[in-house]
Amino acid sequence: MIPLLAKLPEWIWLVPVLPLVAVVINAARVLLGTATGDAAEPLTARLSSLAAFGGLVLLLSIDALALIDGPPGHLRLAHWFGNGNWEATFSFMLDPLSLTLGTLTALIGWLVMRFSANYLHREAGFHRFFIALSFFLAGIQLVLLAGNGLLAFVGWEMCGVSSFLLIGYAWQRPVATGNALFAFVTNRGGDAGFLLALGLAATWLGGFEWTLLAKTAQISVVNDRLLVIGFVIAALAKSAQLPFSAWITKALEGPTPSSAIFYGAVMVHAGVYLLLRLEPLLLQVPDVMFGLVVAGALTAIYAWLCGLVQTDVKSALIFATLFQVSLMFVCIGLGWTTLALVHLCLHAGWRVWQFLVAPSWLVITRQRPPPPPAWLRNNQLLYTAALQRFWLDKLADTLLVQPTESFSRDAHAFEEHFIDHAIGQPGQGKPLHAERPLIVADGLPGRLLGAVSDALQRIEYRLLLRGKGGTAEKLMHRAGAYLRTLENLLEQPRYLMMAVMATFVVIL
Amino acid sequence: MLKVLVFLPVVGAALLAVLPVRRALPLWQVAMVFALGALGYALWLAGQFDAAGPALQMFESRAWNRRLGSYFALGVDGISLAMVLLTALLSLIAVLMSRRMTEGARLYFVLVLLLESAMFGVFMARDWSLFYVFWEATLLPLFFLIDRLGGPNRQRAALNFFLYTLGGSVFMLVALLFLYDAAPGHSFAMADMAEGGRGLPLNTQLLIFAGFFIGFGVKMPVFPLHGWLPLAHVEAPSPVSILLSGVLLKMGAYGLIRAAETLPAALLATQDWLVVIAFISLLYGGILAWRQQDLKAMVAYSSISHMGIVLLGIATLNVTGLTGAVMQMVAHGLTAGLLFLVVGLLYQRTHSRDLADYGALPGKAPRFAFFTAFGLLAAIGLPGSAGFIAELHALVGGFQRWGGWVLILCLAMLIGAAYSLRVIGRLCLKGEPMDLPDMTRTEAVAAGLLAVCILGLGIWPAPLLELIAGSVDQVARLFGA
Repeated sequence: MIPLLAKLPEWIWLVPVLPLVAVVINAARVLLGTATGDAAEPLTARLSSLAAFGGLVLLLSIDALALIDGPPGHLRLAHWFGNGNWEATFSFMLDPLSLTLGTLTALIGWLVMRFSANYLHREAGFHRFFIALSFFLAGIQLVLLAGNGLLAFVGWEMCGVSSFLLIGYAWQRPVATGNALFAFVTNRGGDAGFLLALGLAATWLGGFEWTLLAKTAQISVVNDRLLVIGFVIAALAKSAQLPFSAWITKALEGPTPSSAIFYGAVMVHAGVYLLLRLEPLLLQVPDVMFGLVVAGALTAIYAWLCGLVQTDVKSALIFATLFQVSLMFVCIGLGWTTLALVHLCLHAGWRVWQFLVAPSWLVITRQRPPPPPAWLRNNQLLYTAALQRFWLDKLADTLLVQPTESFSRDAHAFEEHFIDHAIGQPGQGKPLHAERPLIVADGLPGRLLGAVSDALQRIEYRLLLRGKGGTAEKLMHRAGAYLRTLENLLEQPRYLMMAVMATFVVIL
Repeated sequence: MLKVLVFLPVVGAALLAVLPVRRALPLWQVAMVFALGALGYALWLAGQFDAAGPALQMFESRAWNRRLGSYFALGVDGISLAMVLLTALLSLIAVLMSRRMTEGARLYFVLVLLLESAMFGVFMARDWSLFYVFWEATLLPLFFLIDRLGGPNRQRAALNFFLYTLGGSVFMLVALLFLYDAAPGHSFAMADMAEGGRGLPLNTQLLIFAGFFIGFGVKMPVFPLHGWLPLAHVEAPSPVSILLSGVLLKMGAYGLIRAAETLPAALLATQDWLVVIAFISLLYGGILAWRQQDLKAMVAYSSISHMGIVLLGIATLNVTGLTGAVMQMVAHGLTAGLLFLVVGLLYQRTHSRDLADYGALPGKAPRFAFFTAFGLLAAIGLPGSAGFIAELHALVGGFQRWGGWVLILCLAMLIGAAYSLRVIGRLCLKGEPMDLPDMTRTEAVAAGLLAVCILGLGIWPAPLLELIAGSVDQVARLFGA
């Protein structure tokens, strides 16, 4: 029994895989058309929460083991891919930080699943919701438990995709899809930072393992700073710190349980986790830490001011969340990582409850929300700015979303008007010659081929001895004519005599 | 043993010439018996051949003209045996598909059998003088086949063909005499001449090789010596087109391999030039094929392109490339045979070779549609067809020697795909249906036989590869590969 238990950490991969299995099964049921009607709902919900519960049990057992024997630490399970001087692996990190957050996330995930089963009853996208939520759970567990940056990035992207899907849950409404796109595009900015950092890590450190990243003494401070900045951008974007804050208020379009787990409790903290994980790296670059303090403080002021003027529950909650998360950033910037971790856990637990009861908030309180404080109401400029959320989403829209959209529009126009014509399209060919209507060509390669074939055909006519008026034929005709004249001349007696005499002369 | 194979069709031809019947069917039956007999005998020979043994087997030699030093010497190695089998198969197809022939049947069957015998002789001769005799002997039946039984421009085509190949043969003859004169021993036997030729200085070798190359290049054909091919292929009756492109072209390539054995230094010196010619032929044939709306002309030009692969394989002078060349000789023989068969049968029914006169076949003539698509796809060298194995070998062999330049081969393949898919799109996909009687059972058997061979060699090429491995190794060893 004990040796079996000791092997338990090696089954950690089940934690992200179990929800994925639920995703696959549920998606297959939807695709096959068996998941329709009320009768199909319990199975979907039960499968999803069972997967979440399985992960929770597994993590709790590992926690118990870790309490007895000490945390297992970095676990390398298998080689993934790689060549020469760098390698990507399937590895997991089971240290106190990951185990704590992983267990907490599993618990929250399981509870939210249970909650959603009733909350979303008879919603049109019931199954879709559970598929996306399970997918998210797999992704976030991968982020928290992965032993290397690449695997964490996979989870990071899975979170981004499921966030996009759930914000656009009510896809019939243009606002929802617009907001989903906005959040996704903003998050891609952070992903770019993550990818950059991973690429640099592969080049300079030869791998993505967190343990390897902790040993940054081998690279110079300049390189270290670049690496850290990449990760910090990713963290700021995911945790909606300034200048990326605008997306999170738009992300509340999704159903309440998803808002709770994404923006209230779990995903918004992913950036904080990333920075906690990279603490040894951060400590090398105090200037970046100072930058974190500044970003955190500014976000805190922003969230506080905006929060004061909100009139609906969810917006007020999200600004409160943002405020707390920015305080965590300040803590990390000041080097108080343990405080930040404790803050994170407490905040997550508290906020998920708040978000889940948000729909019934008015029933519970039965009071009007307090008006904004008098000093804010009197300061016209600040009040407007707070009401308008400092025009951040307009700014982000102008700077990020609109350029992306117009770029894609331009690319499409470029392809339609230039590339398609240059390459040629099937079925658009025009005949090269009137007498050969089936020999068609389109685009530059087609025209080139046509021109070359014309040139070669001309050569071909010349090569044909007796083709359609080949040049060789004409030449031979001319030569034949000369020979015939010569023969006619030779037939005349005087020339015949001359030829005979010439022959004699030669012989003699 | 081999003598029997050479003279079996001659006996058939003689019998057919004097057979006192009026109707065409008995003539066809007799011709079929002899064609089948030749194929059976060739298969039996292949069974006797020991692939692991010495390269040259079943050698028999008898002095022919002692003063000149020429012998009636026959023998087969892996390469010639592969060609002999191909010849026997395609001759059988040529006879098989002519079942409905009524006018000129006697002349046709006699000439085809004579042609078969001459082709056997070319591939089995182990004496250059005998080789030359058989080589010229193929011309006469072909000339009359095209001239008597061909299309509207047949006389012009026959004369064109005759002049071109005879012109080429003269160069070959001069080169042979040169070699005979230069080599010590004064013997026409291939082994003796090869021994003498290898000892010659490079300049002499180059001069002799130039003569050989013109002779064989006309037959193969390579750019710019291919002038006879489009007209002859288009005008010849379809079964003769099968033999022309299936076997006759291979004689040129076969001769070139034999010349390579005899004059290795010249081959090494001209290797790069040969590949340039190969690439030009590949593109030239492909582009002109793309330009043709005449189905038969398209297949004819594509033959030039495909024989470019053979020349490419030979020019590599390494085992892989030479294997690819021999494979391609067999593969092209089968695919071009199938294509000419289908096109010929279509022409027989519609009397038009213009693609524009055709519509979608699947509804009324599914067999035609299937074999057209199959033949064209096999000609592109789709994986699973014999052509794929051949192209792959040539590509790998060429890459070892010239690196990225072999991409030209891929370009030619792309052009090949363009014209093949155009025809497939017109004939084998949905569209305006066309009323056409489908292939009869005999014709479908003939086409099916070729298709099975193409598919068999494409999926399981090992037997053929084993058969030719010994001989190819022997050739490649001369070039230190």
